[in-house]
Amino acid sequence: MEGICNRLAPRCVLLDVQEQDLKQIIRTMVTALTAEVPVSDPDRLVREVMAREQLSSTCIGNGCAIPHAHSDTVHTSLIVAARLATAVTLDTPDGLPVSLVFLLVGPARRAMAHLKLLSKLARILHDEESRKSLRAATSADEFLGAICKGEMNG
Amino acid sequence: MKLLVFVLNNEEFLEEVLEAYVEAGVTGATILDSEGMGRFLAYEVPLFAAFKEFMKGNKPYNKTILSVVKDMQTVDRVRKLVDPLIGGLDNGGTGIMFTVPVDWVSGLVPEEEEV
Repeated sequence: MEGICNRLAPRCVLLDVQEQDLKQIIRTMVTALTAEVPVSDPDRLVREVMAREQLSSTCIGNGCAIPHAHSDTVHTSLIVAARLATAVTLDTPDGLPVSLVFLLVGPARRAMAHLKLLSKLARILHDEESRKSLRAATSADEFLGAICKGEMNG
Repeated sequence: MKLLVFVLNNEEFLEEVLEAYVEAGVTGATILDSEGMGRFLAYEVPLFAAFKEFMKGNKPYNKTILSVVKDMQTVDRVRKLVDPLIGGLDNGGTGIMFTVPVDWVSGLVPEEEEV
């Protein structure tokens, strides 16, 4: 079973990110990813994630968004989490500004695994307790712990 | 008695499938318009919009046929007739057929009166 916990490294948990523009936020997240694993073309990855955003918003409500992309710039499915210092206004189904952003990238040939991870992330973020824990976390480890707990509860 | 449920992925085969049902001795059934989970997710839930390509080739809409049958012999006859028509149930994507036990029923029309 695809797990969130083993796809999200502590160094890929970014707390109190200052950026307010979605593309800049994605760029910051991709930069964190490149520090953790090889990404053959980070700029292309940013473009692919933004192209997916053009298709339709990946905001799921309650201040959460899961931008994602199939990309051959990575060899496996990976996640980067960003908690924004100030929530940003994006195209959301409930009109609430977004402060929790999870970037999910994975190769196109692993579409089913990608789909499972995306669904699992959505489930965790739909849970109010999980969102509270993520917003209250004081460290990356605590944030990661909240995600793992949410995952275990499923 | 059994409830025979058949989700027919390719609607084009509906007529032949129903003919097979009648031939097998199933003279009454209810046909529902149904929809695959993949299509719904990819087209109706924005978060999954990028998976349209992944779902390509899957039939977006299907038919679900419900029928109460009296025994497993009838089910076997249906399966034997339907299987080759739709390209083999064991080949993924053609359909799903299953039964569940029916422990009580009211309102069934006697077989000889059904159309």
